[in-house]
Amino acid sequence: MAVPMILGRNIHSFARIVLGASQSGSIGLNTCRNRGIYTTLRPFRLTLSACLHTGTVVSSQPSSTVTVTEEPDTLYQKVSVLVKGHDKAVLDSYEFFATLTAKELGVTLGKVFEPPKNIERLTLLKSVHIFNKHRVQYEMRTHYRCIELCHVTGSTAQVYLEYIQRNLPEGVAMEVTKTAMERIPEHILKPMWKDLPTDPPTEEKPNQ
Amino acid sequence: MNTLARVGTSICTNPETRALHVTASCCKNRAARIRVGKGDRPLTYEQALHPHHIGHRKGWLSQHTSNLMGENGAADRTVEDVFVRRFIFGTFHNCLANEIVIKRRGNMLVVCALMLQRLPPQKFYFLIGYTETLLSHFYKCPVKMEVQTLGDKAVYKYL
Repeated sequence: MAVPMILGRNIHSFARIVLGASQSGSIGLNTCRNRGIYTTLRPFRLTLSACLHTGTVVSSQPSSTVTVTEEPDTLYQKVSVLVKGHDKAVLDSYEFFATLTAKELGVTLGKVFEPPKNIERLTLLKSVHIFNKHRVQYEMRTHYRCIELCHVTGSTAQVYLEYIQRNLPEGVAMEVTKTAMERIPEHILKPMWKDLPTDPPTEEKPNQ
Repeated sequence: MNTLARVGTSICTNPETRALHVTASCCKNRAARIRVGKGDRPLTYEQALHPHHIGHRKGWLSQHTSNLMGENGAADRTVEDVFVRRFIFGTFHNCLANEIVIKRRGNMLVVCALMLQRLPPQKFYFLIGYTETLLSHFYKCPVKMEVQTLGDKAVYKYL
């Protein structure tokens, strides 16, 4: 009788201590990862692997970020994402990443193509003074990649684009072109002459 | 052209004459190239490859979008880069193993450096924090440093 009570108290306190250690330890590990320095871990962090995990002790309610508004969502016929970069390999991997996210999020992909590259060449004098026959040539290559999404809502486009843009690699620029669809305004729907009252053609005598 | 060809052949065929080969010294490219020497000078991969290999065998040391077609601000970014390189070269005196890599992600400036283990880690931490705060106050943007340490410089070639 007495033994299980003591055991219960010990386990509860042990769980609290272990949870505290895991929280501080995980925060410490995060900062260590951000530094990127290869230092040896201090000994107390190595004992994390042997601890209990009591998930029900700390429970936080996730804050709902879904907003409900009255106005209807904008509809986009096409959202075209053009990425520019100096390195083709980087653009290849970014295209793979973007198409994978589109597939996972259920966004319909249109064309994924590669517009031709643009090379800007400069021919400058090699020397500071005279020697006009000796020049040096530089070039700047810009590779492009275009990913088109078809028939997306405004909120889907916003979420997708925000995720894509947060993970844009350095040295890569993006241009987004959205083609929105709008309802035809009502005064254009029907031709005007249909609403006019049908008058019989009146003969007008020329006034002379 | 015919006369020149006749002259050339006469010099080549006649074994007693020697031709003089002349090139104006500015014909040769000297940019970012370390000339061949005795074989005792160690070079890193970055120093050993010439600038026409950038994009093919070399990467870029400073990555930003202002050199792309239709983008602005190239001169400002270049000046910032030069300042950051000189600043870090001076702060971590004799500790850099290789050129630093500067990346710009959105607003952030990320400086990636390879250091030699010449100082105790506490001094490294202090200098990293000092550069981060000073540069972020100077450029009004978050500056982060990603540092890796090596024992010795990574030698690719001896020239």
